[in-house]
Amino acid sequence: MTRSLPTIPAALRLLQFGDSMFPVGAFAFSSGLEMAVQAGVVRDRAELAEFVRTVTHVAATGDGVALLHGHRGAVAGDLDRIRRADEAVHLRKLSEEARTMSLRMGRKLAEASGRVVGDSMLDKRFRDAEPDGVPVTYPVALGALFAGLGLGEEEAFAVHQYGVAATLLGAALRLMRIGHLDTQAILYEVNGTAAEEYQRVTIADLDDMAAFAPMVDVLAAAHVHAHVRMFMN
Amino acid sequence: MTDLDGAPELAPYRDEPAQLPGGAPGKVGLLRLAFERRAERTVLTDLFRQAPLLAQRALYWDAAMPEMACLFIISTSGGILQGDRYRIDVSLGEGARAHLTTQAANKIQEMDANYATQFQRISLAEDAYLEYLPEPTIPYRHSRFVSDTAVTLPQSATVLYAEILLPGRKHHRDGEIFQYDLFSCAVRAARPGGRNLFVEKYVIEPARFGVDRRGVLDSFHVFGNVLLLTSPERARRVADQTPPTWDDDLPIVAGVSLLPNDAGLSYKVLGRETEPVRTLIQQFCTVARAAAVGRAASSAFAWR
Repeated sequence: MTRSLPTIPAALRLLQFGDSMFPVGAFAFSSGLEMAVQAGVVRDRAELAEFVRTVTHVAATGDGVALLHGHRGAVAGDLDRIRRADEAVHLRKLSEEARTMSLRMGRKLAEASGRVVGDSMLDKRFRDAEPDGVPVTYPVALGALFAGLGLGEEEAFAVHQYGVAATLLGAALRLMRIGHLDTQAILYEVNGTAAEEYQRVTIADLDDMAAFAPMVDVLAAAHVHAHVRMFMN
Repeated sequence: MTDLDGAPELAPYRDEPAQLPGGAPGKVGLLRLAFERRAERTVLTDLFRQAPLLAQRALYWDAAMPEMACLFIISTSGGILQGDRYRIDVSLGEGARAHLTTQAANKIQEMDANYATQFQRISLAEDAYLEYLPEPTIPYRHSRFVSDTAVTLPQSATVLYAEILLPGRKHHRDGEIFQYDLFSCAVRAARPGGRNLFVEKYVIEPARFGVDRRGVLDSFHVFGNVLLLTSPERARRVADQTPPTWDDDLPIVAGVSLLPNDAGLSYKVLGRETEPVRTLIQQFCTVARAAAVGRAASSAFAWR
């Protein structure tokens, strides 16, 4: 972190841009849960908690690494480093729906940030993205945005992990028989793993980004073919 | 990256074996293969080999593609041992057609020190066609294995690459399921000019993050991972002919996804046993071969 903000402004920025209601369209995605529920892979609270844990783990070891590089690139004023992080995310989105989600939310975050915050490294990267051919991706945009807001990389990482879990749990409320208190309990539990995940990826290179969740991939592939869908993934 | 020893997932395993040290003479398997198209058929024009890797000569066993050079990659040491370092380089000239496979399952032997790595570089010229379909990989208890495969190909060329990963020696004694320490696999592709197409990397450490979790492998044991790198039109045709599979009774599930940057497609199959996974992959390969070169698939060998 190059400059740290006094507590109250920092907390408010964290709340505003980390809010699951921030208009990046996260509500349209279920990260594979819609198909998982339809296929009977996730049927109850315990299975939902396990699924959320898998998806957040994959987010930490994959996108989370790129987010940190996006943040560090923005802190250093290194546009190319942010671009390389964006490219690393895009190259690794092997599922069409995951790719759509990352690019769409990335674009929306960049647009919103341009309107709300004004000129920033994220804004510059967004302007370059079209001619350059490397699209803005959500995790990297979030990292770069948080750097511009004077928030640390740990905060950015935490907000990303929280967003992944909150998006899934929000979808769960609409897809299965589960109450708000149960999803909040799962969220609290899963949030408890974020610090350890951060410790594991803090020194990782972009080339070390990895994920192993073949069932999520197969669910995403099946979802593309589903006739009735509430969510985009 | 020219060697894989720096991979961070190998950090806990840098101790030397009591046998030959890692990468010692006799532990470095090298294979360099070049295929070129001649008038009638594709020939193996360059072959360099160093034990424990071995290849002999190209055979022409595929009745549906008699011009295709078929080659067995052989290991002379009965599996991958701790401290082994393999490197395989394959190149196909313009219009060349080759089929690579292995003579038996790739057994990654039990380890108590160090690790094994496999580094592969595959490059294709215009209109070349490569099927790389090794026998399944079986990681034994406490094995640690890291592999990195990079493919370079123009849009007119096709690579069909399939790996089947078993959970271990499933029926050995009381069963050996997911008792390996580390299985790390990266596959990347780029165009000849250097433009990157996609990267897939997975790191499996069953003791660290259980593979039987929801979203990972669930109750499945066998993971089939197929990549078809080809032109977007062919990839789309194959995707259209490959509906998702979801069979709770067998059980087996599978689905395709179009890769980024028009690289082709990825087909993933999860099953409880090897044979149903192999069958689905063979079906996929039949569709892929028809789309890529307009040929039928030959029937599998009776003993395989």
